[in-house]
Amino acid sequence: MIDMFRRRFISVMVILLLIISGCNNRQETSSTNEAGDQVITIRAQTFGDEQTRIQNLEEAAKELNEQLKAENKKIQVKLETSSFDGSWEEYRRQFILAFKSKNEPDIFLTGHEDIAWLAKGDYILPLDELKDSEAYRDVYPTLWESVTWNGHIWGALQDTEARPIFYRKDVLKQLGWTDEEIESLPEKVKNGEFTVDDMTRVAKEAIDQGLVQWGILHRPVNGPEFHMIAKNFGAQLYDPKEDKLVFDKEAILESLRYFESLTQKEKVTPESMTSMEWKNVHQMMIDGKALFWYGGIWNIFNYMDQGAEFDYLMENFGFTLVPATEKGGTPMTLSHPIVHTVSSQTVHPDLVIRLLELVAKPEYQAKHSVETFHLPIHERGSEVEQFKNDEFLSQITYMLDYTTFLPNHADFNKYGDAYFNAIQSVEIGKKTPEEALKDMEVQIQNDLGDTIIIK
Amino acid sequence: MKKWVLPYLMLTPFLLLVLLFFVTPVVITTIMAFTNMDYSMEWNFIGLQNFEKIVSDPNFSQIVFNTFIYVGFTLLINVFFALLLALLSSYYIPFEQSGLFFRALWMLPRITPPVVYVLLWLWIFDASEYGLLNTLTSFFFSNDPIAWLIDHPMTAIILVNGMVGASFGMIIFSSAIQSIPRDLFKAAQVDGASEWSVFKDIILPSIKWPIMFVTVWQLLSLLTSYEYILLLTDGGPVFESEVWPLYSYHKAFKNLEFGYGSALSLILVIIAILLTGVLLKLFKFNRMIQSSRIE
Repeated sequence: MIDMFRRRFISVMVILLLIISGCNNRQETSSTNEAGDQVITIRAQTFGDEQTRIQNLEEAAKELNEQLKAENKKIQVKLETSSFDGSWEEYRRQFILAFKSKNEPDIFLTGHEDIAWLAKGDYILPLDELKDSEAYRDVYPTLWESVTWNGHIWGALQDTEARPIFYRKDVLKQLGWTDEEIESLPEKVKNGEFTVDDMTRVAKEAIDQGLVQWGILHRPVNGPEFHMIAKNFGAQLYDPKEDKLVFDKEAILESLRYFESLTQKEKVTPESMTSMEWKNVHQMMIDGKALFWYGGIWNIFNYMDQGAEFDYLMENFGFTLVPATEKGGTPMTLSHPIVHTVSSQTVHPDLVIRLLELVAKPEYQAKHSVETFHLPIHERGSEVEQFKNDEFLSQITYMLDYTTFLPNHADFNKYGDAYFNAIQSVEIGKKTPEEALKDMEVQIQNDLGDTIIIK
Repeated sequence: MKKWVLPYLMLTPFLLLVLLFFVTPVVITTIMAFTNMDYSMEWNFIGLQNFEKIVSDPNFSQIVFNTFIYVGFTLLINVFFALLLALLSSYYIPFEQSGLFFRALWMLPRITPPVVYVLLWLWIFDASEYGLLNTLTSFFFSNDPIAWLIDHPMTAIILVNGMVGASFGMIIFSSAIQSIPRDLFKAAQVDGASEWSVFKDIILPSIKWPIMFVTVWQLLSLLTSYEYILLLTDGGPVFESEVWPLYSYHKAFKNLEFGYGSALSLILVIIAILLTGVLLKLFKFNRMIQSSRIE
C-alpha cells in the first residue's frame, strides 16, 4: 500500500516538475509548412492603442516572405503580435519576467529612454547596422541620438512626435490680437521674439479680462514635458561621456521658480494641476477655458476622442514651439521616439532586422503618422502624399529641427520622480523653490549615490 | 500501515502548495533584501546596505508617520463603523429582507473592481470644476474648485479604504450577531434591560471573537495593501499619502530596485508579526480559545 502511494506520489511530483520546467522553455520558433518551407515564428510586442504599429509589422512580414520566396530561401516568417495596454511600469516588468523565463518577444517596442537599462542588463542586441542601412538612410539626424547609448545604436526608430504649445486663437483674438499676429506667433517664437515670460503675461491678461479661467496648463502627472521645461531653462540632465545623470542646480532652480510663478505668483496655472484628471484637463482646452497648453501633437487625437471635431480644432487652435526663456533665445520641443528593440535571446536576429528594415518603409510611416498623430522618422515618410495632405502634421514637422530627448540613462526615472515631487511641492505652495531644490538634492543623492554629477 | 501515514500523504500536495506559494516567497524576499537586485535581476549580496539606506532615506519618517495615521484611522472605521452597520442591519432593522438589502448595498464597493471603484472616487474628488464635489460646492456655495486630493489626501484615502473595509467587518459581525440565541434578547426584554445593556452585556461579549478576527485581519491587510492608494493618489502629493507598502512597491516595481523594495517589505513583515502579537495579547487570545463563545 505504502509502495503504491509512494509510486503515485513520485509520479505526481515528476509531472509537476515537468510542468514547471516546461514553463521555463523557450517557445518553439520553427516548424515546417505544407510547401516544405521552414516556418520561423517571430514574436513582436507593441504598446498602446495605435493599431498601425501592429498592422505595419504584419504588412512588413508579408513583404519579407515575398522576398524570401524570391530568394529561394525555403524559409517563411510567421509573425505573432501582441499589444500591451497598461502602464509603462507594468510593460517593462512584464518584459523582464518574460525574458527571464525565455518567453519574451523577439521584437519589443518601447520608449527610447529604456534602451539604457535594457542594454545594460543584456536584454537587447545592438543594432549598429541600421545606421548604414538603406531603409534608415534619411532618418532625421537628431533622432539617432535618442537610440544611442554607450556609443552604439540599440533601437530601430518606429515613430516620433513633438510637444508644441497649443494656443487658443479665438481667445487671442478677443484679447485684441489681429489675425496676422495670431498666425505669426509660431514665427515670432522661432525667432526668439516671444518668450515664456511673454506667454505668462498674455495668459495673465486673458484671465484678468475674464476670457479664460486659466492661462497655462501642463500635464497633470509625471512625464517628459517637465524635463523639456527644465531643458528650456538650460538644464543639463545627462553626461553621455561618463554615462551619469547631472543635477544642474542653477537651471533646475530656475525651472522651479517658473512653476512657482505660474501657480503661486501670477496664478495662471491651477495649484492643483498635478491632481487633475487628463480628460478634464483636455476638456478645459476644448471648451476654451484655458489659453495655452504644454501639449503633445497626439492630443488632437485625445480631443477628437472626447468629441471635438477636427475642423473645429484646426480653426481655434494654433501650435508653436516652446518659447525661449530669453529674448533672442532658441525655442525648443521634446520628442519621445518609440523604438523597436531586439531581444538578445532571439534565435533569428537576421530575419528580425530585415523585418525592422521593411517596417520603416515611407508608406507605413505616413499611414501610422496620419492615423495616430505622430511624425515620421525620416524625410521620405514626410514626403508621402498622405502625410503631405495632412494640414496639421505637415505644419508641425519643422519642430523636429528643434527637438531634444530625455537622457538614455538606466536610472533616469528616479531622477524624474524627485524632480516631479519638487515641482509638485512648489506648485501647491508647500515649499519654496529653494527648499524644494534642497530636498531634491538629498533625495537624488540617496537614490542615485555616485551615479549623479551635482553641479 | 501506521495511522499517521495516510493523513500526511493526503496533506502533502497542499503542504507543497503552501510551501511554494507562501513560504518560498518569504524566503526569497528575505534573501533578496540583502542584495542590490535591480533591472538586471542579478543576485549581488551587499550585506545590510539596503537597511542603512532605509534609515538614511529622507522620506523615512514621513512614510512611517503616514502609515501609522492611515492604518490607525482606517482600522477604526473598519471595526467600529462596521460594527455600527452590523448592529443596524442585524439587530435594529427587524425585517430580515430589509437588513439583507442594506448589507447588500454596503457590499457594493467590495464587489466592484478596485479600478472602477477608485475611478468613481477620482471623479468625486477631481480638482477641476467637473468633479462631483466641486460641482456640488459651487452650486450650493459658489466656491472655487477645491483640490481635494491635494489638500486632504490622507482623509481621502482613509475614507475610501474605510468604506471598502467596513463592508467586510459588517458581514462578519452581522453573522455573529444573528447567531446569538434570540432567547437571550427576549429574556433581557422581559427583565427590562436597556438597549445599551443589551449591546454591552449580550452582543459585545458574544462577538469578541469576530471583533478580534476582523481587527487582526484588517490590520494585516491595511499594513500590506496599497492598491486603492496607488489608484487614488499614488502616494501624492509629494509623499503626503505615501505609506510603507506603497513605497516598497514603488521602489521595487517602478524604480526596479527589487533588493531595496524587498528590504522595505521585510521590515513590514516583522512589524506586522509584532503588531499581531500585541493585538492577540490585548484581546487575551489565550483565554478566548479556552472559554466558550457566549459567556
